[in-house]
Amino acid sequence: MKVVPALPPLIVAAGACLVLLLGLVSNRRIKRDGPLWLGSATIIGAAVMSLVLWGDRQEALGGGYRADRFSMLLNLVFLACAFAVLLLSTREPAGVDRRGEYACLLLTATAGMMLVAGAGDLIVMFLGIEILSVALYVLCALEVWRERSLEAGLKYLIVGAVGSSIFLYGLAFLFGATGSVQLSVIGEQLAVASFTEEPLLLVAIALVASGLAFKASAAPFHMWTPDVYQGAPTPITAFMATATKVAALAAFLRIFGSALTDLVDTWQIAIAVIAAASIVIGNVAALAQRDLKRLLAYSSIAQAGYLLTGVAAGTIKGAEAVLYYLIAYAAMTLAAFAIVIIREREVEDGDRLEALAGYGRARPVLGVVATVAMLSLAGFPPLSGFIGKFLLFGAAVEQDLTWLAVIGAVGSMVSLGYYLRVLRVMWFGEPEGGTPRKMLTIPAPGPARSRWSASASARPCWWTSAATRPPPCSPPDPRSAGVGRAPPWGGGTRRPGGRSVGP
Amino acid sequence: MPWVTAIILLPLFGAFTMLAVPPGGVVQARVHAFLTAGGTLALLAILVGLFDRDAGGPQFEDRHGWVSQVGLEWTVNVDGVSIWLMLLTGAMFFLAIAYACFRTPDRARGFLGLLLLAEAGLLGLFAAGNLVLFYVFWEAMLIPFYFLIGMWGGSDRVRATTRFVIYTMVGSLLMLVAILATAFIARDITGQFTFDFEALRGIAFSREESIWLFAGFAIAFIIKLPLWPFHGWMPAAYRAAPILVTGLLAAVMSKAGVYGLIKIGVPLFPEGAEYFQYHIIVLALAGIAYGSVVAWRQPTIRMLVAYSSLAHLGFVALGIMAFDNEAGQGAVLQMINHGIVVAAAFTIVGIITERSGKEEIDEIGGLANGAPWLAGVFLIVAMASLAIPGSNAFVGEFFILTGVFRHHWWAAAIACIGIAYAAVYMLRLYQSAMNGPRKGADGARVEMRLRDTVVLLPLIAAMGVIALWPAAIVGGTTRTVERLMAPAQIAADRPADQIRAGVAPNPPAAALPLPGDPVEAPQEVPTQ
Repeated sequence: MKVVPALPPLIVAAGACLVLLLGLVSNRRIKRDGPLWLGSATIIGAAVMSLVLWGDRQEALGGGYRADRFSMLLNLVFLACAFAVLLLSTREPAGVDRRGEYACLLLTATAGMMLVAGAGDLIVMFLGIEILSVALYVLCALEVWRERSLEAGLKYLIVGAVGSSIFLYGLAFLFGATGSVQLSVIGEQLAVASFTEEPLLLVAIALVASGLAFKASAAPFHMWTPDVYQGAPTPITAFMATATKVAALAAFLRIFGSALTDLVDTWQIAIAVIAAASIVIGNVAALAQRDLKRLLAYSSIAQAGYLLTGVAAGTIKGAEAVLYYLIAYAAMTLAAFAIVIIREREVEDGDRLEALAGYGRARPVLGVVATVAMLSLAGFPPLSGFIGKFLLFGAAVEQDLTWLAVIGAVGSMVSLGYYLRVLRVMWFGEPEGGTPRKMLTIPAPGPARSRWSASASARPCWWTSAATRPPPCSPPDPRSAGVGRAPPWGGGTRRPGGRSVGP
Repeated sequence: MPWVTAIILLPLFGAFTMLAVPPGGVVQARVHAFLTAGGTLALLAILVGLFDRDAGGPQFEDRHGWVSQVGLEWTVNVDGVSIWLMLLTGAMFFLAIAYACFRTPDRARGFLGLLLLAEAGLLGLFAAGNLVLFYVFWEAMLIPFYFLIGMWGGSDRVRATTRFVIYTMVGSLLMLVAILATAFIARDITGQFTFDFEALRGIAFSREESIWLFAGFAIAFIIKLPLWPFHGWMPAAYRAAPILVTGLLAAVMSKAGVYGLIKIGVPLFPEGAEYFQYHIIVLALAGIAYGSVVAWRQPTIRMLVAYSSLAHLGFVALGIMAFDNEAGQGAVLQMINHGIVVAAAFTIVGIITERSGKEEIDEIGGLANGAPWLAGVFLIVAMASLAIPGSNAFVGEFFILTGVFRHHWWAAAIACIGIAYAAVYMLRLYQSAMNGPRKGADGARVEMRLRDTVVLLPLIAAMGVIALWPAAIVGGTTRTVERLMAPAQIAADRPADQIRAGVAPNPPAAALPLPGDPVEAPQEVPTQ
């Protein structure tokens, strides 16, 4: 059994295990910085391996994993997203006390995505989707002291489980109809025998499309998205909005674009309707949002709709357009979330739209980055979002899906409404100071370690440092007294013995 | 040397390198912007010198692949119409940046950088050789103007920018759909998937297709122009924008719509243009009348000039939609004239409002007493604006009216009333602001200074040159306008002696039928 072509996900999985172990080392420096370094090394190793394997298709694990240009390209996208998120979350409260677990879960999710993109049979694909989902359930709920985060984790768990089971059910029907789990064999089966209007297959298509639409947060399976995106720690939201969506679209392309390609007439309209609904619902709902994370969540629903337009075309051109747009989408969404993350470090409630008022003048470079990201998301020429949409809609028009392209074009115009609102607040608004972010203090390991290590994660303390105000839930730790007010530009102070996460 | 590409990319490069200027480096930013805009203008001047005035087709073409899967190409070129508009753009932005350098706004880096970005967008728009590139620049130039109005504008700027964007985007959406539809329909006819202007010339769209496609483009152009009743964005944007940006909007950006009409609408969809000819002529006449009447009653100088600009643009649209060679040449000349005159007018408005702090016509008066030079320049500009014989605008309007009279005498007659009205409002403005009893600010305070002279003198000189030697521009446009107008003239069944250029059928009659196509005779396109 060949293993080498499956090395990229295996490297990432092995790295995840090692990073988890690093969290147990008692050396504080290793515990603090180790996961970042080892995680980065793992990602770079896997990326190099993906580049080495770039070329014609090679199969591994008995045909369960395919290393081809498609999966290697997507591997690079996943790894880039994971790397960006790893860097963005270095100072995040979610990751601070549990760097090892945090990086481990991130890498595990990445490995799952790589399995999805390279899946050669249905079982590996389902495994990949479950691996990434389970890791993300935990990541969403990682900021245990915030109710929102716990809520997000629970919601995502329930909805995700429903989505997974629907997907699995669909895969079972697909297996029942064709007698194989191998994607290539399924494709051959469908090519030779006439399966049109076969009820078993229709059910399978409907269930698989619904299950994947859950994962891609496409309407009408999008209900969980805004709440989960808002509640989850922002770097995790960024990861979900980019890498998870890429993985779901990869699964769409693997199943519909290659295995079921002969039934395109059967499923085209279903995917097209999902795409149209996502574009309409995402764009219209985003207009009313005042919270940046929710706004980006609805925008990501709409973007899923644009991406599914390319899937619905069912042609090579459509798939190419989807791949191009996925890369562009990942880049611009990460940039948009990075702005939110940076602002959240500086002020309380940094994800409100008003928190960005006048931010462009205060931080011109970040302002320009946000401007380019928003305009590109809106599909403004000559940015990559425009070229991607042009390719997607062109592919759709070629397959006589002109109505879908028109909905997409109208949707892009509507989306300008909220993307430009962000820019308007950012550039034309009068800056408001905002409440500087309070510091999170997690008590130091010491004599009381056994007591605190359990409760520190469950009940850490938000420490308003104004000495006049008594700490709301202070551990009676004398070393914590006298922490200066966190400067609004960030940079938490570090004290001997205690670790405080600066804004 | 890829002249046209260099001319577009130089201001773009200047805009991006503006980021390297340290914050607070106002002097560096000014020098940087000045040199970039000056360099662009110099390159344009060289290009005008090298330009072959007797050729009708595109010249100095640069063609590079971009996204070849969908037929996207970087195709830029100049012809006898676009080169003059590019020259106008380069000159106006150079003067605007010079004006801005003397009165540095706050956040000068951003302001000058956005001006350069807008210049690149407009130059690219005029040089674009295919529909998608045209669309890209059409949209791209919206962004710098959006920020220029929104960040440096006066009160009500947020509402103004929102309206500006909504109006423009509605038009752009229709245009984008029309662009895609054009390419796909053309592919079914010729078997070639392309957005190229030249490759799309002479395609025998059915009458119905031609009408719908023309409508998609024309609405975008008319909104940008703007023609009454699609001008809703204009007053708010002109009022809220900083005066410099208002001047640029009127002098240069409004030309984008007219240019689209003459470069895309009329030559590519002649039957649609012929179908909508009367509709647009009526709108243009309504615009002339509406602009003139509303300008007459405006309380502020700035809005008076803004509405007068609306009326003048109606003349240009009228000249194009007459499908007459002379009227077309007049329209091109009048685009340049209007740009120069309106830029000078807004500069004077800017000087007066900046120094006196007043914008209302009723509160300004008798400035000539202390500011004879300014009054003199203002008189020249006012005379040019109302197209008095001997001024540059007279030549343009004369060309337009001659051409229009040949085919639609009634339209020319109504348009002449507009000229009379121009005299009413411009003279009212001149008399109350410059002559009469002194009101408000002291004239001596608003007198021209060196920095004003630097901007106004070239504009006055250009007016003089065009008035005395209009052939400098008109001669260079003849072949191109004949070529652009010919399809519409054929569609309008004009007598053969008026049509001076031929249109090759597309696809060529000799082209082989495509594999799988039913064999049929290609539709005949009458040629000269």
